[in-house]
Amino acid sequence: MWDRRDPERLEQRIRVESDGSITALSGKIEFGQGIRTAFAQIVADELDVPIERVKVVLGDTDQVPFDVGTFGSHSVAQETPLLRKAAAFARQQLIDRASKKLGVPAEKLDTQAGVVVGGGKRAPYAELLDSEPLAGTIPDGVELMPDKRRKYAGKPMPHIEARDVVTGRARFVADVRLPGMARGAMVRPPMRGAKLRSLDDSAARTMPGVIAVVRQGDVVGVVAERDEQARAGATAVVAEWHAIPVDGPTAEVPMRADAGVDEKLRGASIRLAQTYVLPPIASAPIGPSAAVADVRGYGATMYVGTHRPFGVREQVAKTLGLPEKKVRVLPQITSGTYGRNSAADAAIEAAILSKGSGRPVLLQWTREEEFAWSPSRPEAVLEISAGLDADGRIAAWHYDEHTNVHTAAGLDPQVLVVTSGRNAIPPYAGFPAKVTLHIEPTRLRTANFRSLAASENVFAIESFMDELALLAEQDPLAFRLRHIEDDRFRRVVEHVALRSGLTEPVSARRGRGIACTVYHGTYVAQVAEVEVSLSGAVRLVKVWCVVDPGQTLNPEGVRNQIEGGIQQSASWTLKEELLHRDGRVMNTGWDTYPIATFRDAPESIEVLVEGDESAPPTGVGEPGAVPTAAAIANAVYAASGARMRSVPLTRERVRKAMAG
Amino acid sequence: MKLEFSVNGERREVDVPPNTTLLSVLRDDLDLTGARYGCGRGQCGACYVIADNRAVASCLITADQAARMEITTVEGLAHDATLHPVQQAFIDEDAMQCGYCTSGMVISAAALLGRDPNPDETSVRDALAGNLCRCGVYGRAIRAVLRVAGPS
Repeated sequence: MWDRRDPERLEQRIRVESDGSITALSGKIEFGQGIRTAFAQIVADELDVPIERVKVVLGDTDQVPFDVGTFGSHSVAQETPLLRKAAAFARQQLIDRASKKLGVPAEKLDTQAGVVVGGGKRAPYAELLDSEPLAGTIPDGVELMPDKRRKYAGKPMPHIEARDVVTGRARFVADVRLPGMARGAMVRPPMRGAKLRSLDDSAARTMPGVIAVVRQGDVVGVVAERDEQARAGATAVVAEWHAIPVDGPTAEVPMRADAGVDEKLRGASIRLAQTYVLPPIASAPIGPSAAVADVRGYGATMYVGTHRPFGVREQVAKTLGLPEKKVRVLPQITSGTYGRNSAADAAIEAAILSKGSGRPVLLQWTREEEFAWSPSRPEAVLEISAGLDADGRIAAWHYDEHTNVHTAAGLDPQVLVVTSGRNAIPPYAGFPAKVTLHIEPTRLRTANFRSLAASENVFAIESFMDELALLAEQDPLAFRLRHIEDDRFRRVVEHVALRSGLTEPVSARRGRGIACTVYHGTYVAQVAEVEVSLSGAVRLVKVWCVVDPGQTLNPEGVRNQIEGGIQQSASWTLKEELLHRDGRVMNTGWDTYPIATFRDAPESIEVLVEGDESAPPTGVGEPGAVPTAAAIANAVYAASGARMRSVPLTRERVRKAMAG
Repeated sequence: MKLEFSVNGERREVDVPPNTTLLSVLRDDLDLTGARYGCGRGQCGACYVIADNRAVASCLITADQAARMEITTVEGLAHDATLHPVQQAFIDEDAMQCGYCTSGMVISAAALLGRDPNPDETSVRDALAGNLCRCGVYGRAIRAVLRVAGPS
């Protein structure tokens, strides 16, 4: 399913418009990671036009080629070569057309800022259309623009949307306004999976502004003229629910089972076993889920925030009983959701409300709904044991990951190992390992969260590497390097240590810690410096990061993404824990689920982008967040002697560990 | 009830139910959607506007309270084609990712610079402490505001 694609066709990728501007089409979605800008850079370079003349259309299911979704930080990596080839093919066709029109051989023609020139003649792109759009299967061997002629790729560029964002003009999903649009509010059951037993909407129907009370199966909502009226109406609906406890699935997946692990562990000169624990955490987007549905006549138009517009189209079509081609999904700018948008909850609900009321409906979830009903990152318990040989090298590694599902994709073992098992296999070499993933039941709704299980696994592995090194009286950096065979990995680790002055002395109560990983082909190493007060309060002072994401199109965009990943991960690590009972989330507001604020931001996050230009581009949206928890925990140990094997690193917890 | 507002230097009239929040009036009656809904409890800063020179959560004040104030929304900070220096600085520092919280941050920063043209880093952090950002652009936003502040 990951490579389901028809042959690439030019007309699905690039349109030259009648005014000579360029429209580039992709099924990928922008949600703050800067792909709209990156795609515009590639296309502008390849078609030799000023970047202002390139419009990038993302995810409109009526226009763009099928796409499975935007996740795993693959967007730039997958789409870049496709768009680049398409744009190059378009330029080739324009030159061929110009050759015929101008009577100049193609090899004597070149392009210049949207015009084909040569032999003393010129033809702007717009004049080469002759109402016949560029089309055709994109061949493999298209000649690409030489690097020295590329003006935009690899250059720092602010987000294309920046001006609209700072002036407030950018329209997010909840800012869509359609003529006749009404507002929706949902009636929520007491717990997930509850079945509706009875419904009394007589009071709600007479409330001011209420247009309809809509029910489809166990989904109930109120549609009203104004937002406040819809909410008041929803409160007035009396619903009785039949609670059915939902338990998650169970599975056990061997991920690696090298021979000799148990014998080597028994024969090791030093052995260590530790357990690391991470709580569930919330995606906690600043903008709660929202969707606008216009289901009138025989068809639906959906304005949504989503990572996978074609998936939403399928789900909405199914919900409404429409064929997929009758549903158009128009992805809008959306609050960053860090994976949460993979579930199309608000879209499906809005579609039901619109169909039931005959009006276009904007459904805006409340903050409480977002915390209570969103999927979350599951909890994880990681058990590691390892033995060292007489030379102080790792002799064997035994790893058990206990967690819940990380996606809605079910229990296919091949999917589980790359989702819930992501980064469970250590990036170090030279020893046999046994790695087992245990999916255990939970009543919490868990699904797609930035970097899936990698942050949990890397927290455990990288904390444990420090513990092993210290036990063997080796320097944590040198100990890691002894087990790294990959040169790109070695380079980022060595460089971040050097850059941060990892081994240099720091002032009292401060300490530095290192952590590193390889995430989907992106090499990332970080050093954190923290200050730990006598009462156990941890302050993140500085972070250094060296990242190698292969060929780099927009280094400033990479830095922004990596910094953001580090800042968000620092918040998970220092502050966040979702509390739940019987599948019900207990902390549903910013007061009970605090995240890092401006006061918590470190003095600096220094990101060095050192991409191996000979390697294909890999993602940067997720990897920045992955090693941060371990870097911080290792720094806390260096600063205070407290080894933190569970997060968040709250003052109380650190104080206890310092005393113990 | 009928109310008259002063928003971004213009008089605007609306007819809304009692107890409607300023946020709702801005977004649903005046089509000024730059102030975003984030929590409805004044805890995230996404809906901040400047009311009588102070950054306030528009989800916490009612329309009739707001009718007695001079309101400036993020849409009203720029003058014609010229951005407010804070807006330009946010672009120059690329101090945004998804952009959902940006309006609120820009408002807090503009209000701060209105009362203190040369704030230091601690003042900037304090003034923006009510603006939550999940994408993690705090460091860049601090640099953006300090860039406008110039040497203190």
